Order: sequence, then C-alpha cells, then structure tokens
Amino acid sequence: MYKLNFNFLNKYGGMLLEGMWTTLALVVCCLAIGFVLGTVMALFKQSKVKPLRWFAAVWVDVLRNTPFLVQIFFFYYGLPVLGINTSAPNCEIIRAGLMAVKKDYYECAAALGYTRFQTLWYFVLPISLRVAFKSLVNNFVNLVLTSSVCFSITVVETMGAAKIIVGRVSRPFEVYLLILVCYCIFTYIVSFAAKLIDKKIRIEL
Amino acid sequence: MSFYDYAYLTSNDAMQFVKATGVTLYITLMSLFFGTVLGVLLGLVRCSKNRVVRTLPLLVIEPLRNSPLVTQLFLIYYGLPMVSRIMLDPYPAAILALSLNTAAFMGVLVHNSVSAVPDGQWEAGLALGHSRVSTFCHVIARQALRLLVPQAITLYISQLQCSSLVALISIMDLTKLGQNLALRTLRPFLVYGIVFLIYYVISSPLAALARRLEKKLAFHY
Amino acid sequence: MAMIEVKNVTKSFGTLTVLKNFSVDFTQEGVTVLLGPSGTGKSTLLRCINGLETIGEGDILVNGRSVKEKKNLREIRLDCGMVFQRTVLFPHLNVMRNLTMSPMKLLKTPQAEAEEKARFYLDKVGLLSKEKSMHNELSGGEQQRIAIARALMMNPKALLLDEITSALDPEMTSEVLKILENLAAEGVCMLCVTHEMQFARHVASRILFMDKGSLVADAGGEEFFSTIRKENERISKFLHFIGE
Repeated sequence: MYKLNFNFLNKYGGMLLEGMWTTLALVVCCLAIGFVLGTVMALFKQSKVKPLRWFAAVWVDVLRNTPFLVQIFFFYYGLPVLGINTSAPNCEIIRAGLMAVKKDYYECAAALGYTRFQTLWYFVLPISLRVAFKSLVNNFVNLVLTSSVCFSITVVETMGAAKIIVGRVSRPFEVYLLILVCYCIFTYIVSFAAKLIDKKIRIEL
Repeated sequence: MSFYDYAYLTSNDAMQFVKATGVTLYITLMSLFFGTVLGVLLGLVRCSKNRVVRTLPLLVIEPLRNSPLVTQLFLIYYGLPMVSRIMLDPYPAAILALSLNTAAFMGVLVHNSVSAVPDGQWEAGLALGHSRVSTFCHVIARQALRLLVPQAITLYISQLQCSSLVALISIMDLTKLGQNLALRTLRPFLVYGIVFLIYYVISSPLAALARRLEKKLAFHY
Repeated sequence: MAMIEVKNVTKSFGTLTVLKNFSVDFTQEGVTVLLGPSGTGKSTLLRCINGLETIGEGDILVNGRSVKEKKNLREIRLDCGMVFQRTVLFPHLNVMRNLTMSPMKLLKTPQAEAEEKARFYLDKVGLLSKEKSMHNELSGGEQQRIAIARALMMNPKALLLDEITSALDPEMTSEVLKILENLAAEGVCMLCVTHEMQFARHVASRILFMDKGSLVADAGGEEFFSTIRKENERISKFLHFIGE
C-alpha cells in the first residue's frame, strides 16, 4: 500500500504559499483588466458606430474560440493575456446585463433631464452589474482556474511552485492532490461569498 | 537540407499540421464521447427524488469543476503511477483527464436542463397515468434536450480549447506542434498565428451554430 | 406668453403620419386634457414636447426654446416633468433615493434639503410611510404616485402625464386620480392624456379632442361636455362609445 506522505510541506510549504500569493496577485490584476476591457467591449457592442461593434465582436469571438495556452505562448509574458482572455466572457456577461435594462429606463432618465453619460453612470451600470453579478463571479472563478496554465511560461504561481516542488521531492501525487484541494476550497469560499452578496444586492426588474 | 531551410515552413510541416490537428481532434472527440456518457449518467442521478442519491454525483462533480484541468491532468499522469501500479501513457491519461472534466460539466448541464422543465409538465404527465420514468422519457427528455443541446455544444467547444493543455505532457497535438515549430523557425507569430487560425476555424462556426440553435430551440413557457 | 407653443408640427412614423400640421398653445395654468381615440397622436404630442420623439416639420417652443436644438433639451426636460404609463422607478434604489437622486445630481440640491423636499412630496401623495421601500414592495398605484412625486421634485413648470392610470386596476386608478385632483386644486399645471372621463369632467379646465392627428375641438371643460358634444358628431359618438 502506498503511504501518503505530506512531509514535503515542512521544507517547501513556504514556496507553495508564495506561489499562491503570486496566483492571487496575478488574478486580481487580471480581474481588473478583464473587467474594464469586458465593460468597454460590451459598450462597444451596444454602440451605434459600426466599426466599434465589429471590433468588439471579433475580439470576443477570437478570444473565446482559441485555447488559452496558445494565447499565452503567442503573447509570452502572460499577465496582460490573462486579462484579455477573461475580458471576452466578461463582455458577453456584461452585455446581457446591459440588455436587461429596457428602453423605458433610458426614456425615464432622459425625461428627468439626465445626459446620456449620466444615465449610463447612475442607472444603467448599477442595474446591469447587479443583474450580471452572479455570472461575473462565475467568470472570476474560471479566471482563477485558468491562471494555473500560466506556469507553462515560467510564471511561478501556484502550479509553477508545485512543479518545482515535484521536481525536487518526487511526490507528485500528494503535491497535486493538495493543490487540487486548495483550489477547490478557494472556489467554494468565493462561490459562497458570492451567493450571500448576490442575495443582498438582488433586484427585481 | 541546409541549416537555413529549417527556418522556413515546408510542405512537410503542412502535413505535420494536419497530423497534429488530427491528434487534437482525436483526443477531444474521444474525451467528449466518454465525458458525455458519464456526464449524462451523473446528471440523471442528480435528478433523482432521493436526497442521498442526489448528492452522490456531487462528490465526483464538485472537485472536477472547481479545480484547474492542468492539476487534474498532472495528478493523473504524474501522480497516479506513484500510488498504484497504473502507469498511463500520455494519450490515455489525457483522454481520461479530459473525459472526467467534461463529465463533471456535462452532469451539471444535464441536471440544469431537466430542472428547467417546469413542474407543470411532470404533473401533466403523471396525471395522464404515466410512471415517472415514462413521463421522463416521453415528456421531459425531449424538452430538456432542446435546452441542453446548445449548451452542450458550447461546452464541447470549450473542451476543445482545453485539449491544448495536453501539450504540457508532451503529446504532439496542435499546440505542441506550434511550440516546436516556433522554436525551430523562430517565427512565433507566424506559427502560432496558424495554430490560432486552425482552432478558430474549427470552433467559431460551432459557436455560431450553438447561438442559432439556442434561439431556435428555446421554449417560451 | 404661452409656455408651450406647438407650431405646425407634422410627425410621421415611417409611412404613418401621426400628427398633421398640428398647432396649439399651452399656458402655465390649469389642467389640460387630451382626449381622443387610440392612435391619434396624443401620447406622441406629449413625447414630442419633451424631446423624446423628434419632429419632422414644424417646431415646438418650450418657454421660448426650440425642441429641435439638442442643447435645449435639458432645460426643456427640467421645465416639463413627465410621468409614463408604465412606472419606471429605478429598481436598485429605495423610494427616498429614487426621489432625491435627480435633484441632488442634476440640480445640485444638498442632501438634507432634498430629503426634506422628498418627505414633503411623499406626504402629498400619501406615502410617507414607504420611504425605505423598494419598488417591488409597492403596488402599481403606489408606484405611480411615487413617480408623480419624483417628477414634482424637479420643480417642473408643467407636468406631462401620459395615460398614467391605463395600466392600473380601478381601485389603484382612483388613488392616483385623487392625488392628481389635489395637485390640480393647488394649482399645478398639468397636461394629461387620459381616458378617465370623470376626471376630465371634474378637473380639466381645458379639453382638446384629437382625431387622426388633427385637433378637432378645443374648449373649456364644461363647454366641451355640453355644447361641443352636441355640435360635433364625431365627438358625440366617441363619448357615447366610452360610456359617457
């Protein structure tokens, strides 16, 4: 019988933790980038200017239909690409949120005297984001899981640290099992928090 | 052949592209097949009325859904040989990992599709005298399928993208070929551009199909 | 000077001409009711006045400002508050915020002053207790009353009311109409499109009857229901048809 041996943690636990911090940093940066880009693309897609609509459509289509691994090889340095990759699904999600705001609201805001920009900022975006929140968090979870691929261009995040450790300790089963569990735990916590927040900010349209 | 010939893509490379695409498609299709079968099973079990039975598939689905495919892949390919006598070759390991991952997501889709069919349909079937199974087969399944198909296509496309990860365990798929050629010719943009194009050309029409099907097949209850 | 001057306005939606060379003046007094069969351009006229619809030929001047120039629209909309048929309370804000948001952001009213004003108008529409409610906790009639209060918060010179009770059941309709009657008694200038004849009879100081995009009759309240009705067959038929 194989004896599970987690002793490697004594020596390399720190390294693993550092890797996780890197994942967190990577993910937070790319979350911001991905969100901003996604929103911009969603607004482009709704705009009246045809080239903008076309640009956003191509952006989303290409990013969604090609593998992330290939994307990062292509761009090599990883960080912006993760943000770019996640902006594609974000765009669709935010668009769904934007479309949930019906024409009536735009008209009402116009009748009250708001400019287009004010309408967008005070009403459309808050409502859209509340509607889209659950899906956005879902996408965030995917972002975290996808970030694991970045180790292949030698970014030392969680999987990267894991690979190094496996190289030294030769206990791949325990190491990868532990990582699997860690990702699961993180995902659960995020999903759970999201459910709670979603309950509070839910609005009925 | 002189050294400089290696810097260009030759017709031999074109054949390589075809072969590598074949590998990618082979792994993907095999995984999708097994994954769908297992996924549908898991999904149907999730629809049972018995609370305990309902949560059993979650033990399989949740870990697979909430962790990266890379980790799952490495666990199977590198980790399994250590704990058991099973030493998997790269191909079987890849197919196994991708199948399990697909099954997890498919299970969720199946469960969601069946749940999305309104209770009224069940009640109508039962009231007419059908058993639960019969109601399911004749009334529910077809409606659930209409919801499921577009989403399943979207899942398949995304699993096609995920199959690129098998390059990391040295399977000569499209991505790995891209890596090799890029290193050889030192023209990453050209090579990866071609790789991009191939993945895109396969995926994008399917994605468009899925979108159209979704509109066409949607019920307005 | 008339507050709203409609001059020879023609408005078409595609091939359908909804307003034909329409001219009328409105002063900043009293309650004017627009009556007529459906599809005769009543709502369209209202929407043209505050710039939600663009007009083809002709012009509309609100306090001397032309609706056709984009830069005037803001001022025009501050002058004419509008309440719609389907209530559009902002779903992510509670009632108080719904009311105070626009004065605070658009008129730069300080928060305390805005809230005090909001409570004043909430009291006027009889919903002071609903200050903290969200839109889905209110009935249709309550939502419309809040919508009226919200429009009043911006100190409009006139209220444009576009069939605001058409989507409500009879009980809620009477709640809302009561509020409108009170407001009319206080001297708020209103321009209503409505099918509520009782309301028109009691409250309107002026009635305009529109048919097929043109003005058929323009008279004071009582005069309309007695004299004009007898003279004009079309109007007589219409009023008979809706049960007057």
